Amino acid sequence: MVIRKKTWVSAMSLTVVAAMALAGCGSNDSNNGSSASASGSTGASASSSASAGKASDAPKKDVTLTYAIWDQLQQPAMEAIAKEFTAQNPNIKVNVEVIPWDQYWTKMSAAAPAGTLPDVFWMHSGQFVKYASGNFLEPITDKVQAGEIDMNNYAANLGSIYVFNGQNYAIPKDFDTIGLAYNKEMFDQAGIPYPDDTWDYAKLAQVAKQLSQPDKGIYGFAAKMDTQGGYWNDMLANGGYIVSEDGTKSGYDDPASIEALKARYQMILDKSSPSHQQMTDTDSTEMFKSGKIAMIFEGDWRTTDIDGSDIIKGKWNWAKLPKGKVKRGDIINGLGNVMSASGKHKDEAWQFLKFLGSQKAAEITAQMGAAIPAYKDTQAAWVQSKPDLNLQVFIDQAADATPYPAGSKAYPVWFPKESEIMAQAWGGNISIEEGAKQVAAMMNQAIADNK
Amino acid sequence: MNSRSRYVWAYVMIAPTLLGTVLFWSWPAVYSIYLSFLKSENFGLVNHWVGFANYEKLFKDHEFWRNLRNTLYYTVLFVPLTLVLSTFFAVLLNAKIRGLSAYRVIFFLPQVTMPAAAAMVWVVLFARDYGLINYVLGTHVAWISDAKFAMYALVIVGVWGAIGFNMLLILAGLQGIPRALYEAAEIDGAVRFRKFRYITLPLLTPTLFFTSVVLMIGATQIFDSIYLLIGKTNVALPAVRSLVYAYYQNAFVYYDQNYGAAIVDVLLVINLVLTGLQFAFQKKWVNYD
Amino acid sequence: MANRSQTVRRNSNWILHLVLIAASVVMIVPFVWMILTSFKTVTEATQIPVVIFPSHWNFSSYAKAFEKSDFTHYYLNTIFAAFMKTLFPVLFSSMAAYAFARIRFPGRTLLFFLIISVMMVPNPVFYTPQYLLMSKWGLVNSVTALWICSLVSPFATFMLRQFFIGISKELEEAAILDGCNPFQTFRYIMLPLVKSALVAIVIIQLLWSWNELQWPLIINSSPDKLTLSSGLATLVSMFSTNYPILMAGAFMAVIPMIVLFFLFQRRFIEGVAFSAHKG
Repeated sequence: MVIRKKTWVSAMSLTVVAAMALAGCGSNDSNNGSSASASGSTGASASSSASAGKASDAPKKDVTLTYAIWDQLQQPAMEAIAKEFTAQNPNIKVNVEVIPWDQYWTKMSAAAPAGTLPDVFWMHSGQFVKYASGNFLEPITDKVQAGEIDMNNYAANLGSIYVFNGQNYAIPKDFDTIGLAYNKEMFDQAGIPYPDDTWDYAKLAQVAKQLSQPDKGIYGFAAKMDTQGGYWNDMLANGGYIVSEDGTKSGYDDPASIEALKARYQMILDKSSPSHQQMTDTDSTEMFKSGKIAMIFEGDWRTTDIDGSDIIKGKWNWAKLPKGKVKRGDIINGLGNVMSASGKHKDEAWQFLKFLGSQKAAEITAQMGAAIPAYKDTQAAWVQSKPDLNLQVFIDQAADATPYPAGSKAYPVWFPKESEIMAQAWGGNISIEEGAKQVAAMMNQAIADNK
Repeated sequence: MNSRSRYVWAYVMIAPTLLGTVLFWSWPAVYSIYLSFLKSENFGLVNHWVGFANYEKLFKDHEFWRNLRNTLYYTVLFVPLTLVLSTFFAVLLNAKIRGLSAYRVIFFLPQVTMPAAAAMVWVVLFARDYGLINYVLGTHVAWISDAKFAMYALVIVGVWGAIGFNMLLILAGLQGIPRALYEAAEIDGAVRFRKFRYITLPLLTPTLFFTSVVLMIGATQIFDSIYLLIGKTNVALPAVRSLVYAYYQNAFVYYDQNYGAAIVDVLLVINLVLTGLQFAFQKKWVNYD
Repeated sequence: MANRSQTVRRNSNWILHLVLIAASVVMIVPFVWMILTSFKTVTEATQIPVVIFPSHWNFSSYAKAFEKSDFTHYYLNTIFAAFMKTLFPVLFSSMAAYAFARIRFPGRTLLFFLIISVMMVPNPVFYTPQYLLMSKWGLVNSVTALWICSLVSPFATFMLRQFFIGISKELEEAAILDGCNPFQTFRYIMLPLVKSALVAIVIIQLLWSWNELQWPLIINSSPDKLTLSSGLATLVSMFSTNYPILMAGAFMAVIPMIVLFFLFQRRFIEGVAFSAHKG
């Protein structure tokens, strides 16, 4: 006991001494830290040619890049691309980091002013202007002009999404549209023909009602509270809009938009869809995956995920979205790969970025079924990645789809608030009309504040 | 040893704590107040002085008042309930009964459970259709997505997590009460409840006071369980959203750090007032001898 | 007479145990449910009516949680941060607490008040400025950022000062007569005397640091820089309502501290009880 006490005391005193020594170091550390960050920020504002010169002094230095993405479902494909890239460039390793969507933009907005954005990362059209206008992204215009990359290689003019003040910032990665997933087994049992091109919203509501057995927890449709994968498509189909074309006004209070929102919500009231509370307890796509929902709107990017469910595998398929009063509404969005303006290894990052925009990377994306690649003429490979599913609907719908309502500094402000207000309407606390009007007022305010 | 060299030693020994406190705590607290008078653009790289504009906006915002009411309501439910239950179980365990240490361990278990993990399992337990709680009670209540119940769900989770720790604190307080006092009371023929009321409770007041101050400061900062149990698309969110949750949303999701700073600065004032009130009223009920 | 009172005691004991057992069940059920759910399939976990036991004990949710999130780093970061956030505050605070308790020096009251005044400030007040500080030092999204702001603890300083005040001065005076300087007196005489208090502070710091969610959630983003609690928040974002995977993750996150608690349960419980005496 005495011995134990002694060792304890001497151990303690040792650590105290160490601590005091460290306390001395601590202040040194902070000096170093601030000077390092000072040089870091000058480095960030220095022209890219300076950093290029530095890198060429030691061209084959081992470098590890960070590539941040938000979709864990695409992680295997992105890692496969990174591996292929490293095989071609053995000195450059790439770390693929998944930060879930819920946290992705919070983290990026924190990292941007700190100069710690990942070397290369996914960009969303809604967030793009904010980052480009703040000079946090490395422009790639000179590389495009120098012919290092050809923007004509990408389908549907996707490169133009990521142009700001005449500068190019991103290489198109993929595009996505929304489809109607349906459970074939449930249609067969009810003796109802599968959804097809002729369907309109009235037909959807009618069949959803027929397929619902609310007392058994089975529903024909998931009228979920969702934007891109939900009512935005309804609003467009009904002749409404999300943001006016000049970007100055919200379309949520447009009568056609409100009518579409009400029609969707009506399906919950009709018990053709689970309630918002039920869909909070269990994600609606999970319900579809476990065979409790007959039809749901989803993005093509969920294909692998849904098909991974043992319960529904082989028993489901995709159809086009139903037609509305005015047209078939469908949101198309294109993701881009961008690189940080303050990265330490911009040359290597550019090499990787270029590779991400290559045909090879697009083919890997397609074959692994991760997403519809933006690279021209590689979409067929994606459609072939799951031959038993009608993936062609996504390509077909892309032709006359409406672009994602992005391209402003206001989007990042209004988008997270939108879901909080709509949750009140979807949960039954306020009327749909009231919710839509509140969203419109909030959006118009955000647009005015973020000119 | 002369006193001047003792001074030097004292300064050396307090230096790490003092410098660390000023750098990491005092300065940020002051800076937070400064931030609330600014308006930032471009991720905080450009700042303008706007005076009281953030506070004006805050006090005109109905949501803020509702968040404030939620925070206080949670505190008012959580603190007394935790104190009463902790005292109750502490009194039960302040006896020579079998399995005493087992009970103590079990009651303490929630305390060593990460609140994030606990919140996740409560989501499953509270689920309306397949949740264990509705199954056992035979009810069909949407505990966490019905505005009428969500606050109670949060209080249940909070109390569940807090009882063990506070029970031990109170138990320690109980064991500090001299046996002789009870023996004297037994001669007088005092019954159990009277014993508790007239001997235990008065002597326990210093512990209860300390515990209630700590609980209250913690309760006004509720965030983890709202973030993980309720979530942002939950229809019940406005009925439970706390000031700290609103701070997180504004500062880190809506990218308005200045408005967020104004929210937590109001919370700071509230905490100072509440703590001040508790100290002011302690003379009325706390016995220090 | 004696007989009757014994019966009364036995009866009341019986009721006592009933109450305590009922409460214990409530305390434990969440853990049991966490474990059971983690072995179920998604369908079983959300089945109506409720199924208590999984039909097969499958570990696939654990494999999936492990595969999709970087648990190895979560563990390492959490342990390392908890270590730093415990060791340094205890060291620095005990020195400062001793000085504040036993040495009269100019500015003592003022400096002590300066330190403990921050205890009144709610933690979220600090986050944005601390974030900006980390950003200035280039520490955003680093393991260092997890602990550096918690190197000192006003709370521990306050508690330990109370303990030092309560210790008799005789030993200390003898040491001073022997020619020990204040630091030697502190190190050889006083520190061993507050060992139990140090254990209490260690336990409180450890628990607090292990459980913390909001700061790690704000400051770090890369999967290899997260802690267990912020990692769990990530898992929720990734898997929304896939409860078996979430529960597997939650179980992996809580188990180390629970094991530690069972190994040192007396220390834990006495530590907390001990801190109450001087509160």
